[in-house]
Amino acid sequence: MQSHSKRADIARGIADAAARWCDADFPPRVRAQARIAQRTRYSLPVVEYALDQLFGAMTYDAILTTIEREVGAKPVAPVGRVAIISSRTTIGVAIIPAIFAICADCEVVVKDREDELVASFFETLAEELGGPSSGPSTPALRAYARDDKRVCARDDKRVCARDDKRVDARDDNSGAFAAQIWDGGARDLSAFDCVVAFGGDDALAAIRSQLKPDARFIAYGPKASIGYVTREALRDERAAARIAAGAAHDLVLYDGEGCLSLHTLFVEKGAVVPVARFTALLAGAVERANVEFPLGERDAGAIARVAALRDLAQFRGAVFNSDAQARFLIEPGSPDRPPAFAPRALAVHDVDEPEEMRAYAERHALPLEACAVAGERRDVAAAAIAAGANRISAFGEMQHPSLTYAHGGRPRFAEFVRFISEDE
Amino acid sequence: MSLALERELLEIISAWHRDRTELSDEAFDDLALRILSYQLETNEPYARYCAALGVTPRRLAPSWTAIPPVPAGAYKEATLATFDVAAAELTFETSGTTRGTGGRHYMLRPALYDAALLAGFDRFMLPDEAQLRYFNLVPDPRERSQSSLGYMMARVSEARGDSRSGWYLRGEELLVADFFSDLAEATSAAAPVCIAATAFALLHVLDEAHERGLRFQLPAGSRIMETGGFKGRTRVVSREELYARACPTFGIAERAIIAEYGMTELTSQWYDAEDNGGDRRLKAAPTWLRARAIGPDGAAFPGGVVGALAHVDLANLWSCLAVQTEDLGACFGRRIVLLGRDTGAALRGCSLDAESLQAR
Repeated sequence: MQSHSKRADIARGIADAAARWCDADFPPRVRAQARIAQRTRYSLPVVEYALDQLFGAMTYDAILTTIEREVGAKPVAPVGRVAIISSRTTIGVAIIPAIFAICADCEVVVKDREDELVASFFETLAEELGGPSSGPSTPALRAYARDDKRVCARDDKRVCARDDKRVDARDDNSGAFAAQIWDGGARDLSAFDCVVAFGGDDALAAIRSQLKPDARFIAYGPKASIGYVTREALRDERAAARIAAGAAHDLVLYDGEGCLSLHTLFVEKGAVVPVARFTALLAGAVERANVEFPLGERDAGAIARVAALRDLAQFRGAVFNSDAQARFLIEPGSPDRPPAFAPRALAVHDVDEPEEMRAYAERHALPLEACAVAGERRDVAAAAIAAGANRISAFGEMQHPSLTYAHGGRPRFAEFVRFISEDE
Repeated sequence: MSLALERELLEIISAWHRDRTELSDEAFDDLALRILSYQLETNEPYARYCAALGVTPRRLAPSWTAIPPVPAGAYKEATLATFDVAAAELTFETSGTTRGTGGRHYMLRPALYDAALLAGFDRFMLPDEAQLRYFNLVPDPRERSQSSLGYMMARVSEARGDSRSGWYLRGEELLVADFFSDLAEATSAAAPVCIAATAFALLHVLDEAHERGLRFQLPAGSRIMETGGFKGRTRVVSREELYARACPTFGIAERAIIAEYGMTELTSQWYDAEDNGGDRRLKAAPTWLRARAIGPDGAAFPGGVVGALAHVDLANLWSCLAVQTEDLGACFGRRIVLLGRDTGAALRGCSLDAESLQAR
């Protein structure tokens, strides 16, 4: 079983590494974010925001608080070998489960992306955990940068390239972790005790079919997020503008490709600020947010899709907000139409009560992750939870989750441990 | 008016089919604007859309390039027809739509559709006037009468087949055993065949052939019509890979595989150009079908610049002659290079997208 002090040492090392990655001028981060922008085609400000959120959340207190909340003082042991498979459009999502699996003393293998963000971060982590300050309980660490160019750090903080066989060979019983490029097909997943995967339904089903029967499968499938604005919250123009600014922020980040991106918005009728006025404020806020977080080098197909949605709104005779270059679209929603899932395109539904939001999610079988709420009515949160949301947040905070947030409704740390019972 | 336009179009199709008579730019323009005028008078939802864009019966577009293309998605939202659809003799439904709210393309009579499809098929698929045995890996019209692709292959099989054509898609199931068995028989009988398949169905058949260790040496003159791409499918391979696998499996040359590009919202089809200068992506169309690549602001891009394709199909007399798609491509004179849609990768991000929502 893992001691609390050892866990605290690891958490300290992770937090120290993350703090270095919070520095916008940290050379590995500068290199990584350029590669991430190239891979994802998000604009650099969006990538910078993503890295700030990712690493800014990984503080020593947040890591230990999360662990404390989930397992408390219960005796636990590592679940075993953990594989983490990230997905194409995400930025560093594998790092969060990886750090908690490392905290649980598991051996971790991560499928990295072409930008090698995980490998780069693990190099920093290896430096932090391998240093003398982390004490004698520090595990031996092995961080693989690429298939054949691997980097390992030992207790003497030495960083060196080693060949596969030497790295793979175990010479002690201490924990280890690895991050490596992995093509997704060749690796034998049946060798793992726990597999974390982010991806589409088919990809997840394919991964699940490869696991041994008693392996833990932690699947993060496709999710959507919604928002609800109560009439009480739209009490004056200023409050409405603030909510609109937050919603715009949640909408433009990651171009709707995040599970925490705002995909559909419900606004109650009968407020001091009417729905039409709020929608106009929202459109203005989106235009401003587009300046802060410009559209990346998106492919022509994504633009064509938004343009087609805009033309369709025009065909319907709807009152919509967009621009000539189809960089965004705010249009009236209809209970019959599912969310568009196009970059920076949002349907605004005018509703009488939260039940309409729940019914909409059910009708379109929306698997929900989060719901942003403006207003403090309990019935809204209740409807969101009934609709399947795992998180209730304020507008503008949806893309800014804390480390303790249970992504996918799952614990962060407890997935990587076995609870030990000793008969009295 | 519609009768006169229909007759005129049938004559144009016949002349192109029979004598390769091309429409001049002026003739295309003139006919397009007369059809537009007719549609503005008789197709209310389209007329309303055009009016919002400043095009009315009294203020027509100055040329065919300025005709407002209706978004293809509008077929799912409104009845786009120039006649009472209760009288429609042909109705096709779009696939891949959201939660059963499919679009419909109504045609008053089949004459235009039949003439257009046979003329295009003869020119691009059967320049040698071959009589083939058709192996249809597309929806069987007896089972799905509202599939435009199924209808098309049924008409082709009847008109140009050897009377032993077969259908090998039942529901979602491919009848691969029957397909291979019949293919072997055709091979033994030295009967040249045409395999008509969506890219996805073709891939499935190739996988099965590989699994069973099957290879064919199809009779000389055999060919494949590949269509439909991988829309809505999670398993995607490149066209090069698909063809590289198909050629040895069926014992045909790559030039014997011709890609067709059509859509339910159109009456006519594009095909791989016969003389493509080495670029297999170059597509040609009958003389009554033209395209523009459009930017997000609705303006046409110059030749060679990639945009969303907008088609002007004069044979779309009964609905809207101009249709805007989300398919990406570039125009090179009268031809297009079709780049298709971004199909994405199997392992996507944590966000839902429209296709995965439909699949649930």
